[in-house]
Amino acid sequence: MMIDRRLVQEIDWVILALVILQALIGVFFIYSSSHFLAGNYHVRQLIWLGISLAVLVFVVAIDYKFFVSLSVYFYGLIVAVLAATLVFARLVAGTKSWITLGLVRLQPSELAKIVMILVFARFFAEYKGAYLTASTTFWALVVAGVPLFLIVLQPDLGTAMTFAAIVGGAFILAGLRRKTIALFIVAALLAGVGGWSLVLKDYQKRRVTTLLNPQGDPRGSGYQVIQSKIAIGSGGFAGAGFMKGTQSQLRFLPARHTDFIFSVIGEEAGFLGVLIVAALYLALLARMFLSVAKARDRAGVYIIFTASLLIAFQFLVNILMIIGLFPVVGITLPFLSYGGSSLLTSFVACGLVLNVKMRRFANV
Amino acid sequence: MPEERIYEDLTLVRRRAGTVFWIFLALTVLVVGYYWKVQVLEHVKYARLAEANRTRVRVLAAPRGLIYDRTGEILADNRASFKVSLVRENVKDEDASFAEISRLLGLDEPTLRARVEFHKDLPLFEPIVVADGLDRDAIIPIESRRREFPELVVESEPQRFYPKESLAAHVLGYLQERTPEEVRAGTPSRLRAGEMVGRSGVEKQYDDILRGEDGSVVEVVDSLGRVQGAQAHQYPVQGGRIDLTIDHRLQSLAEEALAGREGVVVALDPNSGEVLALASSPTFDPNRFITRFTPTEWLGLINDPLSPLENRAIRGLYAPGSLFKLVMSLAGLDAGTITEATSVYCSGATEIYGAVRHCWFAPGHGAMNLTDAIKNSCNIFFYQLGRRMDIDEIAKAAARMGLGAKTGIDLAGEKEGLVPTSGWKRKVLGEPWYPGETISVAIGQGQLQVTPLQVAAMTARIALRGKSVPLPRLLRPEPESGAAAPPAAPANPFKEAFFERIIAGMWKSANDGGTGQGARVEGLDVCAKTGSTQVMSRESAERLARAGREVKTHSWFSGFAPREHPRIVVTVLVEFGGGGGATAAPVARRIFEKFLELEKR
Repeated sequence: MMIDRRLVQEIDWVILALVILQALIGVFFIYSSSHFLAGNYHVRQLIWLGISLAVLVFVVAIDYKFFVSLSVYFYGLIVAVLAATLVFARLVAGTKSWITLGLVRLQPSELAKIVMILVFARFFAEYKGAYLTASTTFWALVVAGVPLFLIVLQPDLGTAMTFAAIVGGAFILAGLRRKTIALFIVAALLAGVGGWSLVLKDYQKRRVTTLLNPQGDPRGSGYQVIQSKIAIGSGGFAGAGFMKGTQSQLRFLPARHTDFIFSVIGEEAGFLGVLIVAALYLALLARMFLSVAKARDRAGVYIIFTASLLIAFQFLVNILMIIGLFPVVGITLPFLSYGGSSLLTSFVACGLVLNVKMRRFANV
Repeated sequence: MPEERIYEDLTLVRRRAGTVFWIFLALTVLVVGYYWKVQVLEHVKYARLAEANRTRVRVLAAPRGLIYDRTGEILADNRASFKVSLVRENVKDEDASFAEISRLLGLDEPTLRARVEFHKDLPLFEPIVVADGLDRDAIIPIESRRREFPELVVESEPQRFYPKESLAAHVLGYLQERTPEEVRAGTPSRLRAGEMVGRSGVEKQYDDILRGEDGSVVEVVDSLGRVQGAQAHQYPVQGGRIDLTIDHRLQSLAEEALAGREGVVVALDPNSGEVLALASSPTFDPNRFITRFTPTEWLGLINDPLSPLENRAIRGLYAPGSLFKLVMSLAGLDAGTITEATSVYCSGATEIYGAVRHCWFAPGHGAMNLTDAIKNSCNIFFYQLGRRMDIDEIAKAAARMGLGAKTGIDLAGEKEGLVPTSGWKRKVLGEPWYPGETISVAIGQGQLQVTPLQVAAMTARIALRGKSVPLPRLLRPEPESGAAAPPAAPANPFKEAFFERIIAGMWKSANDGGTGQGARVEGLDVCAKTGSTQVMSRESAERLARAGREVKTHSWFSGFAPREHPRIVVTVLVEFGGGGGATAAPVARRIFEKFLELEKR
C-alpha cells in the first residue's frame, strides 16, 4: 500500500520529533547508567529505536480503520499468546512475563495494551450515547477482563495497572454517571481488599507498605525507593553531570537503565533535566491529547485518547514511583527506559495517534 | 468548519478527553513541584546521604607503643596478625563452602555457622570476621587458594605480642577488647569497635601514650561494598614508647624464685624510687588476652582461687607481722618510751592484761635491748613496748612510714591497707579500743593490713634514714627532660639517729646470726627484717598445732643493701611460706646476689 503524498504532509512531525528526541535522551542516560555493565544496552536500545521507527512507519501507512476492523483477530491472538506465556514462559524475577522469539525477548503484555486500544476503539465506535449503559459497561469489562486477568496471573502488576487505566480512560470518554462511578469505587475497594489478601504476593504487598514507610526495610524493598530518592535529591538544581552521578555510577540505584532511568536523569541532570524532560512530555502529550479534535470519527477519538493516556499514565506513575509517592510496580518511563517491548509499544501508540490525525480529511 | 458537519458529533467525547488532559497536566505540575522540593530545597540532605552512601571509612589500627625494660629489652611488642572474614554475598553453595572453610581454618563447622549467624543482620556484602589472631603460617593455605574462595577476605592488623610471655605480666597488665558499652559511651573519633585497651598494669596506666592514633582510609565503595578506590589516606601513628624501670633479669629471677608459690617480690632503688622488679605469683600470660581465651580457659582463670590476675604487690593485703616492729621501734624511740639502753627480759612468755603471750622462741631470748630485739625479732620486747604505748601514737608513726596509704606508684588499682586507730574502731565497729589489741598490733597482727609495695617503700625510707624518698615508679624519666623531678614523699620527721638504731638491729639480723641471716650476702651489707604472719587467730592455730596439723604462716622479708649508701631494697612475701627467715630470706638473698652480679658487669 502506497502512502498518499497528501497524507505524508499531514503527518504531525512535531510529535514524531518529540518522540525521537525523548528516545535519544533515553539512550544517553541508558549509556551513562549501564556502560560499566556487559551488554551494550545503549546500542541495543538504538537498534530497538530503529525497529520501533520502522514499525511506526508501517503503522502510519495503513489506515487505522483497517487495524480497528482487524482488532477482533488481534484480540483473540493476544489472549492466546498471553495464555501461552503463562504456560511456557520461564520464571524471570518471579514473573512469567517474557517469551523468547529467537534472539529477542518480548513482553506480550506490552503489546496487549495496543490491542486493547484498538479493541476499545472498535467497541465504542458505534456507541453514541451520552453515558455508558450497564450492559455496555458489563461487556466492556468482560472484553478487558480476560487479558487483564491473564496479566495479573503472570503476575505483572504494572502492566495490569496500565491496562486498567486504559479501560478506565475509555469509560470516562464514553461517559460515566455518578452512580456508575460509585459502583466502580465500591468494586475497586472490594477488589483491592480481596486482591490484597488473596492475589498479591508478599513482595508486592511489601512494595505497598514500603511506600508508607520506606525506612521500615531499608535493605529490602524500601532500598529502591530510598536510593532513588537519594539519587534525585543529590542531583540538586543542575545535577552531578553526565556520567558523574555517584548513585548510578556506583550502582546504588536499582534498575538504573530500566524503570529508574528518570532517577539517573534527576541525579546527573538535576532539576533542570527533570524540568526539560517533563516539559518535553507535556508538549508531546498536549499535542497528542489535543489531537482528539482532529479525529474524523469516534474510533479515532478513542484511539488518540487511549494511546495518549497510555503514555501519560505510565509517565506519571513512573515519576511518582521513583520519588517514593507511588508503590514500585515496575512501570517503565515511555521512550526513555531501556527495553524493546516498552519502546515498541510506545512508538506504536504514537503511530496510531499520527495515523488518526493525518487521516482526518480522508474519505470515509 | 464545513467538514465537521458531514461527520458525527464528537464534541462530548472531545471535551472529556480535554478534561482528562488538563487533570494530567495539573498532576504533572504538582509532581514536578515535588521534585523541586526534593532536588532544590532538600538537596543538602540528600547530597549528604549520597556521600555517606558511597564512602566508607576504614580504620587503620595504630600499633601500640612498645614497652622496654631498663636494659632496652622489649617486653611488649607488636606483630602482624591476620584475620579472615567471610563475605556471605560471594558464597555460592553454603553447605559446601562452610564445610571447606571450616576445614581450611581449623574451625568446627557449628562454630563457624554460629559466628556467621551472630551477624546475620549485617548486609550481605559486609565481611564477617570468622577467625582472627592468625599468624603468617596459618594464612598461607588460604592465600594459596585465593581463587577458590572468593568469599574469604584476609586482612592484617598489628597485634600486641609479649615476647617474654608471662614475664612481668602484672607490671605490663593486659589488654581487652572494648566493650560495646564503652564504644557507645566514648567519643567516636577516638574509639573503634574491636579496639584493644589496657585493662591493668602499665598497659592501662599509660594507655593514652601507648595507644597511638589510628589512621583511616576513606574508600569509595559501590552498592555491593566493593572498593572502587581510596579518597583520603591518613596513616596511623604508632603509640609512644614506654621505658620501664624494670630489669628483666632481676624480674625473671624473682618470678623463678616464686614459681609454684603464691607471693610477691619487690625490688627497688630507694634513691630514685625506680622499681627494678615487681613479681606477683601465680601469674598469667598476657598474650592469651590477645589471642582470645576459650570460655573454659577464661572461667578457669577468673575463678581460680589463687587469683593469678591479681597483682599481689599492690593489691594483696597482709598483716605485716614482725616487720611492724620496725615501726614500733621508731614510735617508741620518738615518744621516748624506750631508748637504746632499754632492756626487757624475754623468758619465752609473759602475762599482759591477764593473758599469757608467747615469744616465737619458746626458750626465751633472755635480756634484750632494742638492737637485739630487732635482730631476734623478740615478741616479748615489743609486747612490753606496746603495753606502754597508745594505739593512736603507734598509728601516727605507721602513717609517717607510709602505711595505710597508697604508695603512689604508677599502677592503677593500688590498695591502701589499714592502720587501725581508736577513732577508726569506734567509727567502723562501734566499739572502743581495748588495750589488749594494742599488744597484737605491736607485733604487726590485729587489724593491721599492708601491701608488699608499702613495705618496700617503708624499707626505702628506713634505708635513707628518713630523708625524702621518691615515690616508687615504673616509668623511667626521659633523660633529656631531667628537669621534672619525680614526686617524693615528704621528709620523715623521725630523727636520723633513731633510724640508725633500728638499722643496727636489721644489720645484725642478717649478718650476726639473727632471723634474717638467710639473706646474708658476702660483700653486700644487707640490713633486713623478717616476719611470719599468723593467718588465723592464735587460738585456732594452737588448736590445729595440737591436732598435729602444720600451721604455716605467711613468710615476710624486707631489707636493703648496703648499709651505707643503700642501692637496693628487696621485699619478699610468700603466702603460707612458714618462717620469714626460712622461706622469704633466701629468696631475697638470690635477688641481692643477682643485683650485685649485674652491678659488677
